[in-house]
Amino acid sequence: MTAATSLLFNPADYFTYVLDQEIRKAGMPGGYCGFALQLAGKPDLDKLQQRLDLLVTKFPKASARIERQGKRQVWIPTGQRIELERHQAKDDDDTGRLLVEIFNRHESRPLTFHWIAGPTGGTLLLNWNHPLLDARGAKIMLDFLTAEQPERFEDSASLIETKLAQWSLWKKLKLLFKAKRHNDEANRSDSCLPTSVEQGPQKLELKTRNFDAEQSKRIAGLALQHTGLAGRTLYYLGCFMRAMERVGPPHARTGYCIPYAFNLRRQNAPTPVFGNHVGCLFARAPRELVHDRKALFVHLLKQHTQVVRDELDLAYLPLMRLGQWLTPSRYARFLRKQHSGNELSSLWFSDIGDLSWGAKGFLGIPVTGLTMMCWMTLPPGLALLVGQLDGKLSLSYSYLSPAIDDVWLDAVIAAMDDELLENSPR
Amino acid sequence: MKDKLKNFIFSELIYHEDPASFGDDDDLLEAGLDSMGIMRLIMFAEKEFGVTLPDTEIEPDNVNSLNALHRWITRAGRRQ
Repeated sequence: MTAATSLLFNPADYFTYVLDQEIRKAGMPGGYCGFALQLAGKPDLDKLQQRLDLLVTKFPKASARIERQGKRQVWIPTGQRIELERHQAKDDDDTGRLLVEIFNRHESRPLTFHWIAGPTGGTLLLNWNHPLLDARGAKIMLDFLTAEQPERFEDSASLIETKLAQWSLWKKLKLLFKAKRHNDEANRSDSCLPTSVEQGPQKLELKTRNFDAEQSKRIAGLALQHTGLAGRTLYYLGCFMRAMERVGPPHARTGYCIPYAFNLRRQNAPTPVFGNHVGCLFARAPRELVHDRKALFVHLLKQHTQVVRDELDLAYLPLMRLGQWLTPSRYARFLRKQHSGNELSSLWFSDIGDLSWGAKGFLGIPVTGLTMMCWMTLPPGLALLVGQLDGKLSLSYSYLSPAIDDVWLDAVIAAMDDELLENSPR
Repeated sequence: MKDKLKNFIFSELIYHEDPASFGDDDDLLEAGLDSMGIMRLIMFAEKEFGVTLPDTEIEPDNVNSLNALHRWITRAGRRQ
C-alpha cells in the first residue's frame, strides 16, 4: 500500500480518535457507536449485502484501518468486504441481550453491520468507530444503503478545513485564544459525576425510554416554552442536570458540565458521508441554579446564545486543528481534565435530531423503533443519546457497569421523565 | 436582503437540490432549519444587516420563511 492511498484524519476525526484511545486504554473496546433500527419485517438481506459491497467500492474508508504516519493518523483502505453478520433472537429480551453482547465485543474494524432476526421482524445494528464518521454521517450512510440513486452520495473535503480556509490567520488566532479562555473558564468549576466506582473491568449496558407521540409533542411544546425555538437540546440537558441533582450525584461537586456538539453539515445533505464535521460546546450550571427550574433554563439559553454570538462555537475549530499535533494522551488531558484534576464531563450527550424513513421504510420495511448507543470514557461512564423517530422521542442511556449504579440510574431516568414532562413539584 | 439570507441558508445550513425553486413563503423549519441553524442565521443577519434581533423574539412567526425573516429584520432595523 502506498502513501498516496492513505486518507488523512480531519481535526474532528482526531478529536474523536483521542477519546477512542482513552476508552481502549481503560480496557474497553473503544469509541464505538451504534444505531439499532427495529424493523417490522425482514428486509432483502442479499440486496443489503450488495449495497454494503457498493459502499466499500465507492467509499474505501468504510473498511480501512488506522495507521500513524509521522505525527498524523491516517486511514489505509483495506478493500475488505463488510459482511452482514446474521444472528437469531428467540424474543425481544434476547434481541436486547444480543445487542449488548455484540456492542461489548472488542473490535478492530471501523464498521460492522448485524441483522438480528426476531420472531417478528428483526433489528439492524450499525456499529461504527467514531473517528470514521459522526452520527449525522451514520444516518446518511443508512440512507445510502436504501437509496434508489446511490450515485447521489459523494464524499467531500472536511467541512472544518473548508471553514478554516475561509478565515485569515488573524481571525484563526483570535478564535483560538477565545476558545482557550472559554475552556479555561469551563475548567474552573468542578463537575458532578455519576460514577460510584471508577476501577476494574466494565461492561456497557443499555436502558431506553420511548415516549409516545402525544408525550413527545408535549415535551417539544415545553422545550419551546422554556428554551425557545433555538434551544431544544438545552431543554434535554437542563432536565438531565435536574434529574441527576434530584436523585443526588454520587460524586457531588460544584456544578454540572455537559459537552454537546454542533454539526457543520447542512441539514438533509447527502454529502459528506464520512468524517466528523462537528464543533464542541458546553452547557454548564452551578448546583444552586439547577434547583431552580425556570432560572436554569434561562441561564442555559443565555449561555448558549452568548456562545454563538461570541463565535465560540466556531472557535473550537482552530483549537481542534492545533490539537492534531498533540499526542493522544496529552490532548486527552487537555480535553478531559479540570484545574482540580477531575473529569470535565458530567455526561456524554448527543442529540441526533429527527429521523424518519417514512412510508418507504428501510429497504421497504417499516422502521418501528430506534436504539442508539455509544462507549464513553470512565468517568463519566454514562451517555445520553436523544433522537426522534417519526416524531416520537427516544432516549437511550448507555452506561458502564459496575461504574454506574443500576438502581441510581433507574431513579435518574424516572426523574428525567418527570422533568421532561414537567410532572415534578416545583 | 432576501437573496443574501437565502444564499447563507442554503450554502451553510440546509441542503436543497434546487434552492432557486424555494419560495419566499416556503417553510424553512419544515425544510430542516434546526435550533443550531436558527442561532447561526440570527448571528449572520445581525452582522450582515447591522441590527440586533432580541432573543425574546426568536419564535416561529419570525423565522419560518424568508419573508418572515425579512419582516423581522426590517422591524428591528426601524427600532434602532
